[in-house]
Amino acid sequence: MTLTPLDELFLYSGITVLVALLLGRRLPAGWMVTILYGIQLLALMKMAPLGYGGEPISSALTFEVMGQSLSWRFDALSWYFALITLGSALLSSWYACGEWEQRFRQSGGNLWLFHLAMTLNVFSMLILLASGDLLSLFIGWELVSWAGFLLMAMAGGVATKAAMRYITYAMAGAMAIFGGIALVYVSAGSLQYEAILTAASQMSTAHLWMLVILFGAGFGIKMGLMPFHLWQAPAYAETPGPGSAFLGAISSRMGLFAILLVLVKLFGIVNIDSLKIPFTLIDARDLLAWIAVFTIIFPTFTAMKQNDARQLLAWHGIGQGGYMLLGLVVADAMGAAGGLLHVFNHATYQAALFMAVTAVIHRTGTADLNKLGGLVVRMPLTFMVLLVGIIGLAGLPPMNGFVSKWLVYRSLLNEGMPLLFVAAVIGTLGTILSVYKLIHNIFLGQLRVEHDNVKEAPWSMMIPMLILTAIIFITGLLPGIPLAWVASVQQAVGLPVPDYTLGGVESASGSLDMIWVIGVLFAGFGIGALIFYFAGGRSKRVHQLDNYAGGHFLTADVRYQYSDNFYAGLMHLIGGWYRGSFLWLEQSVKSLVEFLSLGMQGLYRRANAEFYLLSTALFVIAWVVI
Amino acid sequence: MAPMELIIELILMPLVAFVVGMMMVLMMRRIAAKLQRRIGPPFFQPLYDIVKLHSKRTQVSHGLIHDIGIVMAMGGYIAAETLLPVPGMTGIAEKGGIITLLYLMMIPSLGLALGVGQCANPNGSIGIARALTAMLAYDIPLVIVIFGVAYAAGTTNLVDIIAVQQAGGFETWGAVQMPVLAIAGLIAMHASLGKQPFEIYIAPAEIATGPMVEMSGKYLGGLFVMQCFQLYTTSVLYVSLFLGGGTTWFDFLLKSFLVLAIPVSIAYLFPRYRTEDLLRLMWKWPVMLGLIGVAFVL
Amino acid sequence: MSDLIVLPLVLPLFGAFLLPIVMRTSISIGAWIGPAILAYGCWILGDQWMSGTALPFSLAIGGFAPPMGINLYIDSLALLFAFAVQLLGLLFWPFKIDQETARRQALMLLLVAASTGLALSGDLFNLYVFYELVAVATFGLIAASGSSAAYASTIRYLILSGIGSVLTLLGIALIYSQTGTLNLAHLAQLAPEQLNNKLGLTAFLTILIGVGVKAELFPVNTWAPEVYATAASRVSAFLAGLVSKLALLIILRLLVLIFHQPEAVQVMLVLGILGVITGELAAWRAKDVRRMLAFSSIGQLGMIFIALAIPEQGGLLAVLALTFHHLLIKSGLFMLADGWGGAIEKLRGAAKRSPLAAAIFVLFSLSLIGMPPLPGFWAKFTLITQLAAQTSPLYLIGLTVFLLATVIEAAYLFRLAALLYGPAAEDTPIDTIPKPAGLSLATASLFGIGLLAAALFITPVGDLLSHVAGQAANADLYINTVFAGTGGSQ
Repeated sequence: MTLTPLDELFLYSGITVLVALLLGRRLPAGWMVTILYGIQLLALMKMAPLGYGGEPISSALTFEVMGQSLSWRFDALSWYFALITLGSALLSSWYACGEWEQRFRQSGGNLWLFHLAMTLNVFSMLILLASGDLLSLFIGWELVSWAGFLLMAMAGGVATKAAMRYITYAMAGAMAIFGGIALVYVSAGSLQYEAILTAASQMSTAHLWMLVILFGAGFGIKMGLMPFHLWQAPAYAETPGPGSAFLGAISSRMGLFAILLVLVKLFGIVNIDSLKIPFTLIDARDLLAWIAVFTIIFPTFTAMKQNDARQLLAWHGIGQGGYMLLGLVVADAMGAAGGLLHVFNHATYQAALFMAVTAVIHRTGTADLNKLGGLVVRMPLTFMVLLVGIIGLAGLPPMNGFVSKWLVYRSLLNEGMPLLFVAAVIGTLGTILSVYKLIHNIFLGQLRVEHDNVKEAPWSMMIPMLILTAIIFITGLLPGIPLAWVASVQQAVGLPVPDYTLGGVESASGSLDMIWVIGVLFAGFGIGALIFYFAGGRSKRVHQLDNYAGGHFLTADVRYQYSDNFYAGLMHLIGGWYRGSFLWLEQSVKSLVEFLSLGMQGLYRRANAEFYLLSTALFVIAWVVI
Repeated sequence: MAPMELIIELILMPLVAFVVGMMMVLMMRRIAAKLQRRIGPPFFQPLYDIVKLHSKRTQVSHGLIHDIGIVMAMGGYIAAETLLPVPGMTGIAEKGGIITLLYLMMIPSLGLALGVGQCANPNGSIGIARALTAMLAYDIPLVIVIFGVAYAAGTTNLVDIIAVQQAGGFETWGAVQMPVLAIAGLIAMHASLGKQPFEIYIAPAEIATGPMVEMSGKYLGGLFVMQCFQLYTTSVLYVSLFLGGGTTWFDFLLKSFLVLAIPVSIAYLFPRYRTEDLLRLMWKWPVMLGLIGVAFVL
Repeated sequence: MSDLIVLPLVLPLFGAFLLPIVMRTSISIGAWIGPAILAYGCWILGDQWMSGTALPFSLAIGGFAPPMGINLYIDSLALLFAFAVQLLGLLFWPFKIDQETARRQALMLLLVAASTGLALSGDLFNLYVFYELVAVATFGLIAASGSSAAYASTIRYLILSGIGSVLTLLGIALIYSQTGTLNLAHLAQLAPEQLNNKLGLTAFLTILIGVGVKAELFPVNTWAPEVYATAASRVSAFLAGLVSKLALLIILRLLVLIFHQPEAVQVMLVLGILGVITGELAAWRAKDVRRMLAFSSIGQLGMIFIALAIPEQGGLLAVLALTFHHLLIKSGLFMLADGWGGAIEKLRGAAKRSPLAAAIFVLFSLSLIGMPPLPGFWAKFTLITQLAAQTSPLYLIGLTVFLLATVIEAAYLFRLAALLYGPAAEDTPIDTIPKPAGLSLATASLFGIGLLAAALFITPVGDLLSHVAGQAANADLYINTVFAGTGGSQ
């Protein structure tokens, strides 16, 4: 048996898990694991031709179990997601090495468990990404779910509660998928992709509907699609810092990967398009698009109301998933490219943002947006990372988030979907409001007295953040680099491919060339700077807090930071629209189970068991006789 | 296009915008004066103001981000101008398109927001919060309008959008083809200028002019420059979307000034809205009009 | 060689009568008799399996050929069950020495003997006799724990079980009155003509309900939570793990050989679904580890009944996979519960006290939920693919209920796991948190290792089970085997 490059990747990944398992209690474990992630990334690079339209690579590993054959292989889709996975794992793990690790251990954290959970997450994600049939997909799916649970639950307390909620949702999702797989198996007679591909075109409408709902809901839960999104924000936010950076970057994208694989590649977007909902004008595809749009809007506006930086980011993570799905559901060349590119872009800025917030927590001990402020003078580099990150998150030029969102908008324009378009823009505007609140409440405004001695984040944390910042900017400047990978993914799943260039996209109906846009933008900044610095009198730097106070004399210990209820005017209007309907829904399901459970216990607690027995016996006999 | 020519265009376009923008400020003040029965400022007053502000002795900086904010506010617009075609010059309009322009126009606001944030003045922060809320209010009808126009023209390339309108003379103007959208766009444009009755984030009597509260000297000067650009960009964008752009400089400038005159005249007749009323207004009438307009287009 | 197969049945029976006498003279010698017998039984059965004697074969007892005489029928399934009985008897052996030792050990031997008989018997009347013997032995064992709660639950169980026996006997009588024979093979021959009617159906259903008492069939399973919560963990493990499965085996044989009516299957399906719903939902709120396990066991057996209702051979494979999986898991979990009994709240932070126990609990829970690549997943996978292939909507309801129940199962099992790994309550020092006894923990670890081994060698295990299922599903083979050795009787 010869090892294919894929086997090598699995091997290294397995070794990483083993190292974390056996040596995880020693302090240099973090560095070892980080280096091993690097080696995994190199092994992935050996398969780099996949990212440029190369032939799929199979693993030598196959199993025959109970008449099912299990196999694993990598194609462009797997490679693209694996690249993001390993990249975020490498940088998050690097970030965790050094000072963060020491602090974590001092404060009673279990470092061994942390490394183990991280390596297990990466390993299981690679297995999922490599799945070569529906059964190995499900196995990978479950592994990812439980590995994620481990990482989320490890902090204890609130985190465990959030993780429990997650695992209940995840199990519900897994069972929906499980049921879907059973139905597919019955109709296709096999769980191999080829068999399903041929069977999908002949399925009855009802059958296809059933499958779309089961798989859509199952995979959607992981992505945090509405209305299954409630678990995600608390679960991600409560994970130890680098862990939340990793989870926020890639974890819920596994849902998108599976949706791409099953709904887009196997069932085909055309088949889904033909599923009409009776008595309405919409079909299953529109339904998915609207789910995507609601997933953009509601979580984004929920994020705006958060007072904890990590919660805010995690809620945005849910919202951004909506853009990815939206692009994919539109499924023209630009939309699909935008959706896929957004996976990469989102991973980069979301990881950077979580890291920056963790750095703030590391230095100040809090992520409460009402207890920070003015840190820009103390942590300028972290500020810069956060700034670049939020520009990416809000999807403004010159960062990479803009390119992917631009593609999604363009596809909606091309296809003539005004409501979806407007809804997507509303999401972006909401994001801008929300992220300004984030950066303002942490870094701008009044510096608190107790933060007067705060230092910049340590270099061990800073370097990964700066690398991410560079990636965010460079892929914004040269989106052609990731677009090449995206194009081969599109080819692999059978979607049309846009005409991309190094700087953006060529199209008869309006192109984008980021090199020019950014060039001009920076030239503009340069001219602005020239005017500002040379065309006027010298400015005098005063203390940050030396400002106009309307006739009052303010000292540093008077707190006047404007942070709470930041968008008061907006909330006057829309505040009443936050009804917590989904929370209510979740609670009522839970109450229903509790109630039924109470009833069942009562049933079993009754002592007159003989009565049950005799009445059942009489009943069945009567049934037979009649 | 020869690279040299392009570079000249890229330099000229912001310059033109600046000069025209200053004249627009002048016009705005003159209209205000007319309505209030005053004489109004002399022709070069906007230029005097800018020079005066930049050469003031008291120049208070609250930190690097404060400076960068002003630079971003100016620089963002300077960049945006190169995406906005004028007669004879297209700059890089074909490399970005209208969506990019829309987003570039948000950068000055973000820069300003950052700069104001560093000043640590709650009035400034409240002003920014309100400004961003206002953006949420007027951008929704604005993108509906832009969607309608771009969909009708079949492109997001502003040069093409203008060309389509100029193809058949007056009848093919956006405003004639899509009157409902044009009205919605005008309202949204008015709000985006931040003039009365939509000046919720300046609100001198409430929050001491909000974002400007800590600005002195060239900081205020920078904002002044930004305002020139803003007036220019907004009106030219409207002209390009609905009034067929300009074939010659004369009709181009005429249209731009006329378009701007409408909201400016209205501005001085009204008091100020509250934030939530602005939202309510913006999300109701122009959105409704915009959607009706889009429905016509589709 | 194959005659030796009676020894695992006879020796424990013999030992059970001998033991009290030996114990009176020397406890130390007596204490070794039981384990020795069981170990020998294991060896014989294992040897039988390994030696490759052609399976299945039939053994006439007492020289009379069936259907006149009584016979043992040994196929792979029976052998597997018999082996499991001996092995679990050994693993759950009540080693504790006190005044009750003799009685407890004798009862255990009796239970093993009767259970082996249930597994091997090829005759309906013998099955009934052994079934009664099992009941008697279990009453004694449950009550042996001595607490008043145990007595109360025993009484409840006793009454229920007694009525169940009467019902079973009624069913058997009906069959006998119709056919005049109780030999399974003979019945299998006669069934298509004589039992394919309302009378046959009634007979089956009465037997189903009667035997269902032990198989934890809804709604005659209300004894289970109380008994499992109050009996010694080893006894609970044996009952939940094995005895319930032996009762299932009776139903399985009857279904394969004699009763093919669709109505029979339907009743079982409905009762199975109700069992899953009630069991899992009740477990959701259970505040006591053992009760939770008992409810979960009811739910799991409901799933097995659903699987039994699938008419094809694939259904049988699912039954066997679920059965052996549950046998392994539930026995192991009850061993852990030895020491973890009582309120769940008391287990806060128990992982710190006994990390191994907590880890094994998580492993078992994961497999019970059906987390791949653990064996539980494959069992559930077989079940759902079979269920989805059925056309009747009732099966799809079964599938839905099954999937939903799994979610609930995951929720309550991992609520407990989170509790185990969570921080200890503030006022309890760490060494007051309960922990499983060493021996029980070792046994549970053994089950854990078995589970992992099965996961690792899932391919051969799966092949083996398919083979066993194929053999068990073949009614003609059964008939031919029984009558071949004796020249037939038609």
